[in-house]
Amino acid sequence: MTDTQKGEAKMNDMTFIAIGLVIALIIGVAAVFLASGDPDGLESTSLYVQGEKTLTSESPEDGDAEAIGTGTFEYESPFPDYSWEALGKLGDIIALVLGIVIVFVLIMGVSRLIKIKA
Amino acid sequence: MHIPDAFIPLPQAAIYWIIALIFVILALRWARNELSEEKIPLIAVLAAGIFAIQAFNLPVGMGTSGHLVGGALAAIVLGSPFAAVFILTIVLIIQGVVFGDGGITTMGANIINMGVIGGFVGYYSYHGIKSAIKNDFIPAAIAAWLACFISAIACAIEMFIAGTFPLVPGIIAMGTYHAAIGIIEGVITAGAIYLIYTTRPDLMELGKGPAGSEA
Repeated sequence: MTDTQKGEAKMNDMTFIAIGLVIALIIGVAAVFLASGDPDGLESTSLYVQGEKTLTSESPEDGDAEAIGTGTFEYESPFPDYSWEALGKLGDIIALVLGIVIVFVLIMGVSRLIKIKA
Repeated sequence: MHIPDAFIPLPQAAIYWIIALIFVILALRWARNELSEEKIPLIAVLAAGIFAIQAFNLPVGMGTSGHLVGGALAAIVLGSPFAAVFILTIVLIIQGVVFGDGGITTMGANIINMGVIGGFVGYYSYHGIKSAIKNDFIPAAIAAWLACFISAIACAIEMFIAGTFPLVPGIIAMGTYHAAIGIIEGVITAGAIYLIYTTRPDLMELGKGPAGSEA
């Protein structure tokens, strides 16, 4: 394959970044409306070993997965559960978009910084 | 699989942090030496996508939901398990610090489970299975399932050592739920690899075997 053919076959960097970020944003916004509210595997296991559910039963609405914990450290994050409560769904969308942007910028920044220092 | 602060006593959490930091330093060294300039956009987009999709819990039945973790995906696409450690560490820092998903003290354990175990199991099982099945996508799906399942078993053992879960019920439940969640991991990993492969095959390290040998 010649260089020109290669150039035509592949998408350029800016398009690739743009499409990738748009896909990430669509997934993030869709997650606000469509993501399952069921506990994740670790939380379900916690409810199971606490006797709040059987292995295959539905999880209790008011089950507290963290009740079993023995650790003492507590930390209050600015957007707990990917939400900005005061703003409702809009707040959730803002929180997720913010997260996507921060991760993207951080990875770009850290990678470039490491490269410059090398 | 994000372990909250409450689930691991501080002394044990500190040990996981120390082990995790060793891998984080190795991952930074990988990024400095092996990550080429032209792959920086790929790794950043991949990380943003992994963050977004981790927020998207899908129901797997049994009153449980799960999402892609992405360690196997990152390791396979970028050709190194350290790529998974690098991406997952940054994703887990943001999730823990900004969104309270996964603890601060337990972040070391989370980096080990999802970044280190997920990345290494995903990467090496992909290349192992690929030598038997000459295809890029089926081995990726199986490797991603294994990465999810084995990370979950490791997590169950850590929960036992922490005194949080009993050993056998913990392993049975974590194994059962993540055997189901692993299907999500497998399907999305194979799908994402297909997407990147069709748009930017030059960015992929699919043919590269362990230690840089050509498979």
